[in-house]
Amino acid sequence: MSSITPSSDDEIAGNHWGAAFDGIKDALRLPAWVVAAALIGVGPLAQAVGHPIGAAMASTVFVWAGPAQVLFYGGLGAGMAYPALAFVIGLSSMRFLPMTMTIMQMLRRPKQSILTQFAIAHFVTVTVWAECLRRLPDMREVDRVPYFFGFGITCLVLSTFTTAFGYVLAGAVPTHFAAGLLFLTPVFFTCSICAGARDMPDWLAIGMGAVLEPLALHVAGPEFDLLVTGLVGGTVAFMIKMNRRRTTGTLR
Amino acid sequence: MIEMLAPYALMLVIAAVPTGIWRAGAVVLSRSISSQSLVFEWVRFVATALLAGVVAKLLANPSGALALAPDWGRLGAVVAAFAAFMAFRRSVFAGVLTGETILILSVYFTQP
Repeated sequence: MSSITPSSDDEIAGNHWGAAFDGIKDALRLPAWVVAAALIGVGPLAQAVGHPIGAAMASTVFVWAGPAQVLFYGGLGAGMAYPALAFVIGLSSMRFLPMTMTIMQMLRRPKQSILTQFAIAHFVTVTVWAECLRRLPDMREVDRVPYFFGFGITCLVLSTFTTAFGYVLAGAVPTHFAAGLLFLTPVFFTCSICAGARDMPDWLAIGMGAVLEPLALHVAGPEFDLLVTGLVGGTVAFMIKMNRRRTTGTLR
Repeated sequence: MIEMLAPYALMLVIAAVPTGIWRAGAVVLSRSISSQSLVFEWVRFVATALLAGVVAKLLANPSGALALAPDWGRLGAVVAAFAAFMAFRRSVFAGVLTGETILILSVYFTQP
């Protein structure tokens, strides 16, 4: 975590690099390797549809969302029409709206330009979101943005190389390891979301999300199941949290 | 030249833009909401439930090589990952390692 001990609060320039370096260190401790390993799987998919290695790497840089990249190359391979594919990818990436909003709440500063905020938003992924949600609140506000960029850029750069690695390696990985690579995303999502859970409503949101999804799939179909799951599960957990807060408030 | 650029253009238009609009939209929306607003708290719960839903979806409808893992392997691996995560004082590393081991073994021993 942030190990910087500033001699004075005015030394903001020096702290930028210290906080950014902490972000790089924390990312390299585990999260960056997990995202990077999960993105190995995008390489072979791009190779299978005959796209160049540079395009596979660029997809990690510009899309920066594993499931969307898998959908893209998988959909092209399956011969999906372009507009339909864009639509499906758009729906699958809807999670970035609530995720980015929570990150923005913690990272925005007075007089911060909208371009800086767009740059921040680009680095949001589940890994970055879950880890930063846990770590940013304990940090001083001036340190948060450099820390976030250090963390996010490390994850992205490492993953761009592993995407290329997967492209070159395509087909050479035994089945059980290929399955293991694809399992990294769900297992890491599970642990990082749970690591951020602080009280009963948090656990409730997680549990409801997991339980509601199959039901929502049945009721709302494969395009809107996650939207329904998030809205219903999240709103119920939020209402319970508000209710608890009110009750404890009146007890006081 | 045009053919060489087509894979890049397709990726940008079909994958990067439909993903990026949500990130950019979040920035624009957030700017008009106060940091203290309860909206952010609600949104965090929505994101949490949604992500748990993503996990359930990935495990129930696996793609590629993950589909070769038996149902009990995928479910067992994620349950074991959670148990190890809790047992080792919320260690993400322990959780991921345990889950991966069980999943890889389940594929290794069920594949002909």
